[in-house]
Amino acid sequence: MKMMTLKGMGLALFGVMLHTAAHADDTQAELARQGKLVATDADCQACHTNPEGGKPFAGGYAIHSPMGTIFTTNITPSKPFGIGNYTEEQFARAVREGVRPDGKNLYPAMPYTSYSHMSDADIKAMYVYFQQDVKPVESPTEETALPFPFNMRIAMAGWNMMYLDSTPFKPDASKSAEWNRGAYLVNGAGHCDTCHTPRNLMMGSVTDKPLAGGMVGPWYAPNISSDPVSGIGNWSQAQLVEYLKTGRTAGKNQAAGAMAEAVQNSLQYMPDEDLNAIAFYLKNSTPVRDPADKQSADTFGKPLNVEEGLRGAHPANANNTLNSGAALFSGYCASCHQPDGSGSKNQAYPSLYHNTATGLGNASNLISAILYGVDRKVGDTHAFMPKFGEGSYVGQLNDQQIADISNYVLTHYGNAAIQVNAHDVAVLRAGGPVTLLAKLQPYMAPAMVAGVVILLLLIFWLGRKRQRAKS
Amino acid sequence: MKKPEFMANGDASADVIVVGSGVVGGMIADQLVSQGYSVLVLEAGLRIERAQAVENWRNMPFENRAGSDYQGLYPQSENAPAPLYFPENNYVHLTGPSASSFKQGYLRTVGGTTWHWAASCWRHTPNDFKMKTLYGVGRDWPISYDELEPYYCRAEEEIGVAGPNDPALQSPSERSKPYPMEQVPYGYGDTRFAEVVNPHGYRSVPIPQGRSTRPWNGRPTCCGNNNCQPICPIGAMYNGIAHVERAENKGAVVLAEAVVYKIDTDENNNVTAVHWLDNQKQSHKATGKVFALACNGIETPRLLLMAANEKNPNGIANSSDHVGRNMMDHSGFHCTFIAQEPLWIGRGPAQSSCLVGPRDGDFRKDYSANKMILNNINRVIPATSQALQMGLVGKELDEEIRRRSIYGVDLSISLEPLPDPDNRLTLSATRKDPHGLPCPDIHYDVGDYVRKGAEAAHKQLEHIGQLFMADEFNITTSLNANNHIMGGTIMGSDPKDSVVNGECRAHDHANLWLPGGGAIPSSSVVNSTLTMAALGLKAADDMAKKLAGAA
Repeated sequence: MKMMTLKGMGLALFGVMLHTAAHADDTQAELARQGKLVATDADCQACHTNPEGGKPFAGGYAIHSPMGTIFTTNITPSKPFGIGNYTEEQFARAVREGVRPDGKNLYPAMPYTSYSHMSDADIKAMYVYFQQDVKPVESPTEETALPFPFNMRIAMAGWNMMYLDSTPFKPDASKSAEWNRGAYLVNGAGHCDTCHTPRNLMMGSVTDKPLAGGMVGPWYAPNISSDPVSGIGNWSQAQLVEYLKTGRTAGKNQAAGAMAEAVQNSLQYMPDEDLNAIAFYLKNSTPVRDPADKQSADTFGKPLNVEEGLRGAHPANANNTLNSGAALFSGYCASCHQPDGSGSKNQAYPSLYHNTATGLGNASNLISAILYGVDRKVGDTHAFMPKFGEGSYVGQLNDQQIADISNYVLTHYGNAAIQVNAHDVAVLRAGGPVTLLAKLQPYMAPAMVAGVVILLLLIFWLGRKRQRAKS
Repeated sequence: MKKPEFMANGDASADVIVVGSGVVGGMIADQLVSQGYSVLVLEAGLRIERAQAVENWRNMPFENRAGSDYQGLYPQSENAPAPLYFPENNYVHLTGPSASSFKQGYLRTVGGTTWHWAASCWRHTPNDFKMKTLYGVGRDWPISYDELEPYYCRAEEEIGVAGPNDPALQSPSERSKPYPMEQVPYGYGDTRFAEVVNPHGYRSVPIPQGRSTRPWNGRPTCCGNNNCQPICPIGAMYNGIAHVERAENKGAVVLAEAVVYKIDTDENNNVTAVHWLDNQKQSHKATGKVFALACNGIETPRLLLMAANEKNPNGIANSSDHVGRNMMDHSGFHCTFIAQEPLWIGRGPAQSSCLVGPRDGDFRKDYSANKMILNNINRVIPATSQALQMGLVGKELDEEIRRRSIYGVDLSISLEPLPDPDNRLTLSATRKDPHGLPCPDIHYDVGDYVRKGAEAAHKQLEHIGQLFMADEFNITTSLNANNHIMGGTIMGSDPKDSVVNGECRAHDHANLWLPGGGAIPSSSVVNSTLTMAALGLKAADDMAKKLAGAA
């Protein structure tokens, strides 16, 4: 009897233990599930999964920054090559502060300046997800080797003093929960600000112009502050949500470049409440007006038929007659965007007027759409415009041809005050404008020690000044 | 990136010299430049860009469009004309009982004739390789279907072919890999046609085609401009220019307006150089290690004949006297009628479905096989011409155009001529091109095998017409060309009665390849481009082997 009791108690105890273990597993599984959502919000795969057939989160994607090529790292739980040995604290420090477990600094191509605002709970969930649900990839990635002096990762410590705001996100009690969720996503996990807030000469965010737009490689991440002229003030909440979810809103814009990737990899999977929170926050953000903007970018242009003035001007076996923007537009663009620029009936081929790509004060997105095309998979829809730059399947256009087409489009369907030239196209073809910091790089090497010392002193001094200003 | 070298006088040298920049020349250039060899491509015609052809087509008069003038809008080099028909330029002089059936439309332009093809990417069937053995007619190939099959797969991948992955819809179904893309979806007309004729054995299948049904390697999805011929305005269809530019981006050099006319050989009869005339009529020389002439089924034999030298008095590669013989094309005809129900032909690309029931069978002992393309080119232009001829005006005219467009059917039938040495290309003794080089003469007779095949096809078509209760049922009496030029540098195992071997390598010259349509020894009934591309890739492998010193 006693024996039985003991045995029974033992069984009961075992049962409790089993139950606890199962419960712990449930918690871990739930955390991992949460973490996957957070990793999607944060769009880790945009950089850490090589789009050219790379394994999930195995890194090796080459980011062509103005300072040189940065190779993304393996963030799978591989112990030798990934983050398998990271503790949660080390993981949190890398994500939020840009510092690896070995103490070396990450480059801010990793948007830790935004992730710094992520909550402990989200970081924890993401940690569990990566360690538990991501398949380890046992292969190394190429080492990042920026040219001097950018290869001195220690310099980033100084840069961080100036530009890293490491205060955790604090909800603003005077605002609604939706606003606060939006703020957290826009400036934290979703890191919209990483691209949409302009950067200064030192590549730091210009914090007094939040979300006022800036160049990201050859693309322009437009002003998404609530300003009705320069920003998204005249977009409805529903239009913003539609855009975030699908990458396009008729009469407004269609996502290309990095924004297409953001929609494809991240935004389309976010719950509607989060997309609404982002839209709500943007609609209620501080308006930032560019004084040069007189009219909102989606209100320019009207249909104009390119056929008039072209048909019959040359014999049917002519050669070398594509010598105007109109002729090039007719031959290369009008089959899809229609001879009057109005796009297809269902706007799968979008209208070129009432389109911010042609109405913005910065024509980069028009030019880059021609150079690099548009490629965006959302749900079962694959929005695709072929590129016309090098390697185009349809036609490799030169800088002057692209400038001529752009000017035709700007003049008739877009912001006629803006005109571009072959050099503007060449700059975007080469990857986008080069910042002063990168331009100075060749002169930095000869200056060697002196240069480094001055730079570091400058950074230290600026950092101190900023710290003082903060306090 | 290894590039050809140019001397101050304009002469050049490279590992690989390719003459002709069409689908075959472009693919060979791309294959070999990708393996690190320097490649020079010499093209007789002009370099044009897509939008020029698009704009020229839009500027074309109605008469040319109604007559399917797909040649005239492509600007021509003054020195290297292509055959033109509006009006006829008589560049190729035709004689013989079927002279008018051999009016070929091919381009002499960087990128070649696939600028204005319809992108059908058929394979020959395994039986097509054994015509003599199985049916006692024509010739056997020196290679089997199985030997070419991996190259068919590669060619489909290079071109980006959309085809059916249901074996029941494949012709042939012997495949080691799926098509790179899913088939172009059937339009209403294709579906309805299949429903009506399939119970009677005509077997409607989707045409495998080199156009995108989804974004593919930077190529957009076909949106049904129905404008494939003479130019795809959005680049959704494969054009040979894709491989030309790909090769150039890797370091190959393509010279336009470079007309090759002379070929040097050494004491072992290896080719050492080709000579070309530039647009100032200056002559230059290109030396190389291996040479491919991929100038098209008419221009390659023409060049071989005109390049005769002391050691090769009958022409290069012509010890067999078979260069320029066995000329073939899928001589064909059209059948048009007005169905009793609307079929809405003309949605989607120009090519869609085809009846392949009569493609193979024991009857091939006696008469030609056929295939019947349900032509998917929009019927509005012929409907308009017919309605105008009826003298209608106003609303009645509009209604009649609409009725004829919706109910109208056009079937394009291809027949299979046998290789006949008497169907022969020779050099004109009197007619010269602007460079002073002899123009081609061609004698052509489709032969009784095709004539009997046409009769059989007529009966099948009359039956199909009855199934649709056809009105205005018409079969064209004269045979038309289909621009699938084959046979002039025919492939075989015996150097005495053929020009090239199974690798398209000339029997007479260890470093000369003649890939493309000219090598094809049995025409089958299907468009020749995919087979040409597969042969080109096989030749490229053999050229690489030779360059590596292994063959």
